[in-house]
Amino acid sequence: MSEPAHHVLYQILVVGVNHRTAPVEVREQLAFPAKRVDGALQDLLTLPSVDEGVILSTCNRVEVVAVARDGHAGLAEIEDFLKSQPDVHLKPTQDQLYHHARKNAVRHVFRVASSLDSMVVGEPQILGQLKEYYAIAQQSGTVGSILHRLFHRSFAVAKRVRQDTGIANRPVSVGSVAVDLARRIFDRLEEKTVMVIGSGAMGEALVRHLVENGVRSLMITNRTFEKAVELADRFEASPIRFEDYDRYLRLADVVIGSVESEEALMTRDTAAEVLRERKQGNMFLIDLGVPRNFDPLINDLDNVYLYHIDDLTDVARENLRGRESEADKGEEIVDQEVEAFHRWLTSLDQVPTIVALKRKLEDIRRGELKKSLESSLKDVSERERKAIEDLTAAMINKILHAPLTRLKQRPGGDAAYDDAVRVLFDLDEEPGQGRPPEAGLDEEQVRERLPEADLDEEQVQGRPPETSFPRKRESRGGEG
Amino acid sequence: MYQSLLQATAGFYLLATGAFILYLFSQRESFSRAGQWLLLAGFVGHAVKFAFLFHDAGFPALAQTAATHSFYGWLMVGVYLTVQLQYRLPILGGFVAPLAFLMSLRSIALGEPGLETPPALLTYWLPLHVTLALLGNAVFALAFAVSVVYLVVRRQLKQKRMTGLSRTVPALETLDRLNKIFLVWGFPFMTLGILTGSVWAYAHWGNFWSWDPRQITSALTWLLYGILLHGRLTAGWRGRKAAVWTIAGFLIVLGYFLWGDAFFLSRHGGRFE
Repeated sequence: MSEPAHHVLYQILVVGVNHRTAPVEVREQLAFPAKRVDGALQDLLTLPSVDEGVILSTCNRVEVVAVARDGHAGLAEIEDFLKSQPDVHLKPTQDQLYHHARKNAVRHVFRVASSLDSMVVGEPQILGQLKEYYAIAQQSGTVGSILHRLFHRSFAVAKRVRQDTGIANRPVSVGSVAVDLARRIFDRLEEKTVMVIGSGAMGEALVRHLVENGVRSLMITNRTFEKAVELADRFEASPIRFEDYDRYLRLADVVIGSVESEEALMTRDTAAEVLRERKQGNMFLIDLGVPRNFDPLINDLDNVYLYHIDDLTDVARENLRGRESEADKGEEIVDQEVEAFHRWLTSLDQVPTIVALKRKLEDIRRGELKKSLESSLKDVSERERKAIEDLTAAMINKILHAPLTRLKQRPGGDAAYDDAVRVLFDLDEEPGQGRPPEAGLDEEQVRERLPEADLDEEQVQGRPPETSFPRKRESRGGEG
Repeated sequence: MYQSLLQATAGFYLLATGAFILYLFSQRESFSRAGQWLLLAGFVGHAVKFAFLFHDAGFPALAQTAATHSFYGWLMVGVYLTVQLQYRLPILGGFVAPLAFLMSLRSIALGEPGLETPPALLTYWLPLHVTLALLGNAVFALAFAVSVVYLVVRRQLKQKRMTGLSRTVPALETLDRLNKIFLVWGFPFMTLGILTGSVWAYAHWGNFWSWDPRQITSALTWLLYGILLHGRLTAGWRGRKAAVWTIAGFLIVLGYFLWGDAFFLSRHGGRFE
């Protein structure tokens, strides 16, 4: 999309570190403890270029999203701000920090919200965290109209990506695969009973997943009864003596076997017997044992589903591959949304009143400048002349900043402010008439010079905005 | 007039079939939603057709094969839409839509239904008997669909190869319970359909039973579903077994609809002596 001549006055910036660019030692130093976020946000807003800000701090990322009047200065100020936080001894290096501006910053926020930037693509927590930190910033009063729109848009984008792609609906950990399978077999996990035979970290992790997903009835058995009791206490489960467990099997809908034993805990025949006693009620058997605790032939019986730990990891791995291919679809959605957001952002500057107001002041500036340079300032050097140009341009921009912000926010959505500005600044005359006669520039010339005089980085660098500074640094702080 | 309404209806059913096929492949809800709306549109068009037909005939003229086939398709869609109100099972549309299309197509092929009902059938036993029997069969169509889905999901779980499909459908346990619910609802309708038919036949022709192929297949299906229902309720039959029996029973029903009356002229096949 081609950049309109008078492009955004504000820039959205992102500076931060994440799990891909910086090791945990760096991230944890930069992290903002929950109670310090409010204070940090206030500090952030004291930076000269920063107008709005949100801080996001999770175990995988620490980043500042801000709106700045000056992109260059803003990025540098935010970087210093991050590095100067108390307790940061291990300063992040340049390639550990990433800096995004404009579209790239918008894209970054959308990707983070959609969990495309997460360690495990599609994980659901990040959106909640983003909402949380956005809410904190809102309470701290550091969110203005642009970040408001950006974040709400990012929540919508995340929803769209989640709905229209499969990135989120494939479980990728062994525990969640087990829960997912249980859900495909059983109607309501709340009414199901789980039996755990033996102990082990994996078994415990599975139980925790199942309990978190609604399982309430739990039986635990172990060769050492004390161990069963201890584990049962932790999960509010019923401990069962190892000698007795087979009598309870018919009550168990899910059985997790995690015993080191040469002899199988359940043969095909015992399983068939248990199923008969259960009137063929579905059973889900999870075998974590080495060697196998459950005879693989059990899977041939009706109404019983036997998964070995290797099967679960296979499914998880397969799902992760699936998620990654779905992520491409997510990126496409994000791209579309970035363009749409950018269009909105640039359209802000095209509100007629804003265009007219900027033109009016610019006309005055040019006119007065020309007058002075032809008379009293006739002898200044080229360098001084340039300095005077810059000085006057900067003044206009500083003066315009607050009114333009208000106009863009369109308070109340009505045109009251527009009308006031039009009356106060006499903006409704015929084009050409409002200009001081001595300006001597025609409409075309003004139009041409306008962008030049705008406060933006090409004033400094003389390059079109889209290819300006962010590119360079990004490739280093890159997303990999 | 009836033909063009029926053709429009069949068109909607065909479009719905397309939407559900896309849904099966993509698992996008927008497709299943489109399919459901298309089915609803077909259902309404279909209902209008029957309203005109019955009005013009001055009687619920459900005697001719052309009318009963399309009536069966209409009931199937109606039952499906009703079930959707209670359970979220859009996938069943993937079965109902093509079946309804097939029935409409058959009805179109058989040509304009006569407005004249043979005098022997000009009694309210006719719509009562036909509606009950076909309603039973329509519910069995859903039982069939849910059983096919059950077998597909079961197979995926057994082979440890899951697709997105099994995530968009209810759990195996739920599918199995729905099989039972459909049986419990369909069976009494079918029983009443057979009973009204027999009583009516006795009153009119003096015999309960005439070994008409429709009667034989109905009796067979009734027996099959009766045994299955009994097994489900008392002996704990469920899962794959119940699904296979349900599918077998419905294939008999479908077989009769597609070929039965083409080969056998009988009271059910349009010969009402």
